[in-house]
Amino acid sequence: MAIQHASHHSSMTGQWIPSTCGMCLHGCGIRVQVVDGVAVKIEGDPTNPDNLGKLCPKGNAGLSRLYDPTRILKPMKRTNPAKGPGIDPGWVEIEWEEAYEIVARELGRVRRDDPRKLLCAIGDFQRIILWGWPAVFGSPNFFTSLGNYCGGSYHPVNGMVDGSFAAINDYAYCNYWIQLGSGDGFSSHLHVSGSTKRMADARMRGMKVVVVDPRCSPAAAKADEWIPIVPGTDRAFVLGMAHVLVHELRRYDRQFLREHTNAPYLVGEDGFFWRDERGRAQVWDLRVDAPRPWNDVPREAMALEGTFQVDGHRLRTGFQVWKDILVDHTPERMAEISTVPASTIRRLAREFVGAAQIGATIEIEGKVYPFRPAALNYYRGAQSHANGLLDNMTYKLFNMLVGNIDVPGGHLGVPLDHRGFFISPGEDGMIKPEPHQLHPIPPFKYPPDSTHLMEWFPIGFDAGQLNAETLLEPERFGLDYQPEVLLLYHSNPLWNMPETDKIEQIMRRMKFIVAIDIHLTESTQWADVFLPDRTYLESTLLNCLEPPVVTGHSLRQPVVEPLGDTRDAYEILTELAERLGFLDDWNDLLNVVCGFVANTTYMLDPDRRYTVEELWDRFARSVYGDDRGLEWFKRHGHAVRYRTPEETYMPYGDLRIPFYFEYVKRVGAQLRQQMEAAGITDWRFDNYVPLPFWKNSPVIEDGERGYDFYAITFKEALHTFADTVVMPWLTEVSEKDPVHQGILINRATAERLGIETGQRIRLVSPAGRIEGRAQVVEGIHPQVVGVSNAITREYVTNPTVRVKGAHFNRLLTGSMRYTDSATGGLESTARVRIEVID
Amino acid sequence: MPKIHVAAIGMARKLVGFSQRTIDFSGETVADLLRALNTVDGRTLYANLVCEGKLRGDYAILVNGMSLTAEQLETRLEGGDEVVTMAILRHLHGG
Repeated sequence: MAIQHASHHSSMTGQWIPSTCGMCLHGCGIRVQVVDGVAVKIEGDPTNPDNLGKLCPKGNAGLSRLYDPTRILKPMKRTNPAKGPGIDPGWVEIEWEEAYEIVARELGRVRRDDPRKLLCAIGDFQRIILWGWPAVFGSPNFFTSLGNYCGGSYHPVNGMVDGSFAAINDYAYCNYWIQLGSGDGFSSHLHVSGSTKRMADARMRGMKVVVVDPRCSPAAAKADEWIPIVPGTDRAFVLGMAHVLVHELRRYDRQFLREHTNAPYLVGEDGFFWRDERGRAQVWDLRVDAPRPWNDVPREAMALEGTFQVDGHRLRTGFQVWKDILVDHTPERMAEISTVPASTIRRLAREFVGAAQIGATIEIEGKVYPFRPAALNYYRGAQSHANGLLDNMTYKLFNMLVGNIDVPGGHLGVPLDHRGFFISPGEDGMIKPEPHQLHPIPPFKYPPDSTHLMEWFPIGFDAGQLNAETLLEPERFGLDYQPEVLLLYHSNPLWNMPETDKIEQIMRRMKFIVAIDIHLTESTQWADVFLPDRTYLESTLLNCLEPPVVTGHSLRQPVVEPLGDTRDAYEILTELAERLGFLDDWNDLLNVVCGFVANTTYMLDPDRRYTVEELWDRFARSVYGDDRGLEWFKRHGHAVRYRTPEETYMPYGDLRIPFYFEYVKRVGAQLRQQMEAAGITDWRFDNYVPLPFWKNSPVIEDGERGYDFYAITFKEALHTFADTVVMPWLTEVSEKDPVHQGILINRATAERLGIETGQRIRLVSPAGRIEGRAQVVEGIHPQVVGVSNAITREYVTNPTVRVKGAHFNRLLTGSMRYTDSATGGLESTARVRIEVID
Repeated sequence: MPKIHVAAIGMARKLVGFSQRTIDFSGETVADLLRALNTVDGRTLYANLVCEGKLRGDYAILVNGMSLTAEQLETRLEGGDEVVTMAILRHLHGG
């Protein structure tokens, strides 16, 4: 282990060991003070440019994860066959050999029978290289909504626009920042510890921040302006602003749209690009007033807008099509939907386009770029909805209107990892769409192999929530088998999926459940065998995940000897792969996901077992060269550096990015053909559209069924995935914050309903009901109630958790009706009615 | 005779019966290399991986770390090149 001296501002002496935080997925650089073999303090690593020495509450509280007295430190098997909430499993500790023998026997049984009968719930984002284990086992099944909850529609659209995985406004140059449903720079999302510092610096130089959110979040509270909005209507608000730019102010970046997007490409009456006999997309050539192939016309000679008649056909540019769509998306109409006043929509649109400085340029390190210091940023609250694809498209297109995609001051793509943007040439001078970056697009198949119907979502991610419908009604979807074994790997489907009662039914059907985790949860308490993993302070990996302004890996390394009789998850899965007879395929998968196929020097021998340190040593050398193996990282902690301007700005180069998403329409048309050929007639294709517009969602329609209010959940820097609720330091803090003390309800609404703080109320949605104590506040929209993720756990035996029963996900519906038909993204808002209990 | 380093992953490995091997190569292109690699079923890797002149959709080929498209089997090889053939793993999961 590398040793550093204590920092000047730390009062204790001891060894300081560089490592990487594992309290959320992003992995800030940390250093841990160790005295006599005991970790006593965690600080941010000031040498790591990602978090600049900062660390959020979760990171500071990491010791209470390592030394949690309720951690499971030895394998266990259950002795009570009865399973369910509150039922004592009758755990007994066993040796690893017995645990492996039981698990290999049960998994081997289904693998020989039908490997699809293994259902897998996988979390642990930092160890993403392990996620493919079920694939080499032979199962396609994914049983969680952990990632889909936030990114189901978000990641595919980022991937299609610029080969990015996420996105963020440019902290360095942005002057006017609109934030929709996100905690970026304040409390959550991308690398929050460093991002808060960057946000603060930008505010100090005068950047204006407007936060649009149903709740007065930490971002809203610190913003220049908070705009309360009805959940799930952010798209209407932004479409209203787009209307103002296009139809009222007529201010948009014509040069950017014409030269860097496919907005000038001609669209036929069928909604597809107008192509010549060689299949080349056409543009309108202003020099000759006729259609010409896109690559035969200088960019400045392309018509950006207009309607044209050719051989009796009506052609419009892609931009013109959206312009026509926007005609009736007036601020007044959008105001009725979103409750944001039309005058506010107009004012913000005017401020935004003014701040964007259309036409300005900036020179950075000798290269001149467009300079657009105004951008709209967004995340879960604004787009994790049943029409999430349309939401994400809208926000991208609004940014494109001012030409700010991936330019200084604007809206920047964030790569998945050190490999950078997934950019390669596609059709017609455009970038190749990359909606899937975690796995290749699965081909259509009927009957489907996967229980979450991945073969039916050609541009989507993994819609795990659909299991609540497909596994209980398999005949509706043609599923010709039933899963029998469940693998829980740092995942809690009874907590993180909608329709908890249905998830319980599915888990009751499992003949065997194995859990790899560090503590007991609602779900792992159902396990037959529990295999204890090591915490992030006892294990090894190199981490690089969604870095917003940096790139490179940070080392996670053991800072103390592992507690108890635990094993690294990689070692556990490798042992099982060997016992089950697919070590060779497992190593081959790692060769692919670790990128060893790009340099065969480091490829794993398929028949050899590698320790976790050997694996990461090879990984380090394959990325950074033979002089930077694991030992180098142990000495230096990280190889994280700022991304260069060339790596950050306009990564698409001369390739065009999509304004008109013809690819989406085409994929939908192809899927429809495949579905019809398979005899499936009741599938929805409504969101396979090339351009966004407003339409009501099922959540809005639920309002007509007597559910008067909207229910939302929210997270802050204190907690992640509700997983951290078992940590006493964090619970102590969150219990002193009123927003985490009950169901938030607006004061005026509460007065109208006769509700006071502390009164027990019940929220009833079409899917379920929860109870809690009302917390009357000013900072929430009058039509909305809010439930913090910091108070919501059920039947957890950890004494830190005070069970309060307000399990938000019980209110959500996991069915197709509440799922984006193109991406599989789930609806994260519920309509509810409020009942007073006492 | 130029030497080409060949690596095979997953089903491709099972077809050729080795994981990595450096071979003497007398051909000119990737397609030639696939024809030169015999598989355990008595055919060639070309016969297994190529359909109507195009690489099958469930396989990928990398030359010196760069992925080929299905139509790029006529890519020329030079001594010292690394060629990786692999079956595409369809399900890695995520979200």
